[in-house]
Amino acid sequence: MSKENSLNKTKDNSNSTKQFIGLVIVTAIVIAFFAVLNGIFGGGDELVEKMKLEEQRIAEERKLSELISKLPSGILVSFDGTDHYRLTDEVYEQVCKATKLIPQRAIMGANFLNFRAHEIYTINGNKIDETFVKWDQEKGKCYAGFTVSGNNVGVDETITVSGEALSFLSTGIDTRVYYIKNF
Amino acid sequence: MEYLKKYPKLFQWIFLLVVFFALCFAIDVPETYKFIRGQAEFVKDPNQSVYFFLGKEVRYYAFDVFWRLPPLLGWLPIWINDTLFFLMNEWMPMEFWNEDTQEFKTRPLLLEISRNLTSFMTFLIELIREILLGGLETIVAFTSWDFIDAYPWLELPGLPWTIVAAGATILAYKLSGIGLALFAGLTMVYISIFGQWKPSMQTLSFILVAVPLSFAFGISLGIAAYKSKRVENVLYPILLVMQTMPQYAVLVPALVLFGVGDHAAVIITMVVAVPPMILLTILGLRAVPPEVIEAGRMSGCTNWQLMTKVLIPTARRDILIGVNQVIMVCFSMAVISAFIGAKGLGFNLLLALNQLNIGLALEAGLCISLIAILLDKMSLAWANQQQDYFGNLTFFQRNKNIIFFGGSVVVGAILAYIGTFIFKDTFNYLFEVPHNKGFSTADFWNKGVDWIFDTFFVYIKAFNTWLITEVLQPMRALYLRMPAVATLVLAVGAGYLIGGIRSALVVAALTLFIALSPWWDRALVTLYMATFGVVVSCLIGFTVGTLCFQNKKSAAFMLGVCDIFQTFPSFVYLIPVMMLFGITDTSVLIAVIVYATIPATRYTIEGLRSVPAGLHEAATMSGVNKFQRLTKIEFPLAFPHMMLGINQTIVFALFMVIIGAFIGTEDLGQYILKALSDKNGAGIGLTLGICVAFIGLIFDNLIRTWVEKRKKHLGIA
Repeated sequence: MSKENSLNKTKDNSNSTKQFIGLVIVTAIVIAFFAVLNGIFGGGDELVEKMKLEEQRIAEERKLSELISKLPSGILVSFDGTDHYRLTDEVYEQVCKATKLIPQRAIMGANFLNFRAHEIYTINGNKIDETFVKWDQEKGKCYAGFTVSGNNVGVDETITVSGEALSFLSTGIDTRVYYIKNF
Repeated sequence: MEYLKKYPKLFQWIFLLVVFFALCFAIDVPETYKFIRGQAEFVKDPNQSVYFFLGKEVRYYAFDVFWRLPPLLGWLPIWINDTLFFLMNEWMPMEFWNEDTQEFKTRPLLLEISRNLTSFMTFLIELIREILLGGLETIVAFTSWDFIDAYPWLELPGLPWTIVAAGATILAYKLSGIGLALFAGLTMVYISIFGQWKPSMQTLSFILVAVPLSFAFGISLGIAAYKSKRVENVLYPILLVMQTMPQYAVLVPALVLFGVGDHAAVIITMVVAVPPMILLTILGLRAVPPEVIEAGRMSGCTNWQLMTKVLIPTARRDILIGVNQVIMVCFSMAVISAFIGAKGLGFNLLLALNQLNIGLALEAGLCISLIAILLDKMSLAWANQQQDYFGNLTFFQRNKNIIFFGGSVVVGAILAYIGTFIFKDTFNYLFEVPHNKGFSTADFWNKGVDWIFDTFFVYIKAFNTWLITEVLQPMRALYLRMPAVATLVLAVGAGYLIGGIRSALVVAALTLFIALSPWWDRALVTLYMATFGVVVSCLIGFTVGTLCFQNKKSAAFMLGVCDIFQTFPSFVYLIPVMMLFGITDTSVLIAVIVYATIPATRYTIEGLRSVPAGLHEAATMSGVNKFQRLTKIEFPLAFPHMMLGINQTIVFALFMVIIGAFIGTEDLGQYILKALSDKNGAGIGLTLGICVAFIGLIFDNLIRTWVEKRKKHLGIA
């Protein structure tokens, strides 16, 4: 009887050991599986860097949106001599950085002084290739512009019109370039 | 070392937990990690990673894979949507004759099938609804509007509420006797005088269409599965998933396939109600003793005769219990289907809850609960009724119920006719009490809610704040802090220790599906809410169950209470908690706890009852006291059964957490709710439903395997 008991115990022990080894293997397989996937899909430090930059950008944008929401709705100018809201130099820079849109009004105004650009713009159905609003750190000024391209009487032309963005339109949600001085 | 040899299992579990925590501590939360994973599909930014699979673009925020797996199954919802779109709009275009325009029209096959099915269901619902409430759509379906203009008397008049009430009372009397008859009568009177007659009959018509169809499909598939192992093997995984899938989730694909309305609700209700019918049919047929089958064969039965004359009559009780389940599921779905435009009590309840009119919601909820109890009791009484094959009854004895019903039809019709004179200038209350024209206690309840808020606001708010900030938020943070690899190791390791390699593989596959979907974080939030609910429910359930078990009467009483509470559709539980705690996570969790405590209590009492009486005697003779008997004998033996209760508790808790999205949680349920109002929501809704079902199945697999092993070990299998 005691021999049988001892045999049973040995059997139980070996079963437990086997199960423990099995558990270790299962755990190792799961971790190895993740390691393999990490090799294939893991982005590493580069990804973290990218995400951090994006987060910074989002944080800045949020800050600018807050500023915009505090500005009065209507026309904002960077110069004296009008009844419109006068931006301080600091806010002028921030508004410039926050502005993305150049509406048709500003584009048409700038085109008045650039006949060829005006022609291409009209011939091609008022199409604009791209617009930009940039802050020039050296000059401490905001520049805005746009590119028009198209076929003008058999000639393919691309013209970039740019100038100083002197006023903006605040809608309460965003700001838009209101006037580009391209002369 | 001696301990290791003595308790090898304990050591293995400790090892697993050590690995789990080591992984948790070793893997840092990525600096850029936010609770954003599930939102990836709605956001487009340049820092998202992209992959293409089966031509579908999947965008996601990539993290260290050990922290969160990339959503490699992110294409699945998109693919489901595209497939559904293709099937409904492009697959197999055929020419079909259009009766209205009298010409052939090209339409995809599935769209035509769906349209025809929809029309058929609409016709059936309208037919029953017009028998109960009156109308002319059914007659028009066979004739035309011109015909009904010429013969306006052909319009179905509807049944006066008195006749339906009498019918329900007589039926209840026939099935169970005077007690149930009284309950049926009072319920019908309550429904009528509280102005809930029309919505109640709308819900009833829904059930009267869905139940027979679900029964027919369920029993046919059950017989097919009983006859063929292959059919059973195909059906079994589907049945498992369907049983743990939240009813909410199946509504979403129904919207795409069948549109909005009662017809879509009936079809999808059948999908949900058929699985329990199939399972109980198989169970009933399997339980038929082989001697009975042998006797049938020896009497020269053909296969058809054997099935219809021997097997089905012998398995009658199980099959009728299946019918009871079908009725309850259909009723529950009738309420939830309000989300896809099904008319009836559910719609009124949803409307009242949306308006935060707790008084109206309570009235509708009480109606729903009363009808649920009535249907449950009547169908159970039918299942338990003994057939008297040898009674020598007179014509009157055999047909007295029909005669009484005939009499009540005549009396009801006369009363309704008299009503036209009594209530000449107003509604004929003896025919029907219009909705919201009966008595109403809504104001009383609303004032009650205001009083509760005015009086206890400070305490309720303090409790809410304490629970949310001190318990729920830390718990949620802990769950979200678990790296994917650690969770997988824990789940797969537990599967291995409980059920060996097979169980580990099943658990791994189910967990991986969720981890590779875009909603892992949401699944963790669902899990945390369900865990909280389950832990508290089990504590309450075990305590209450154990205490009630000490006395036979209290045990019977508590089982009765559980029976009643179990019949209420889950949606109803939201009313009192919203009334007390407003719209917060606390409300959802309290609803989860109340709902999930029912199985915990029931299984505790049943488990303790299942301990053989002989053992009690033996224990008493060995001189153990009551406490020792409970802890040393009854609990260990009842524990496997109680674990099945935990299994049920988990499923109930998951269902309630998902329904709780209506109040406003941020778990998988919230996404299912969003999918309901999204035209491309079918794929997302279905995938999310599968995710919830898989969470339930993981626990189901682990618990069932453990219970089987434990029972074998204790020799009670």
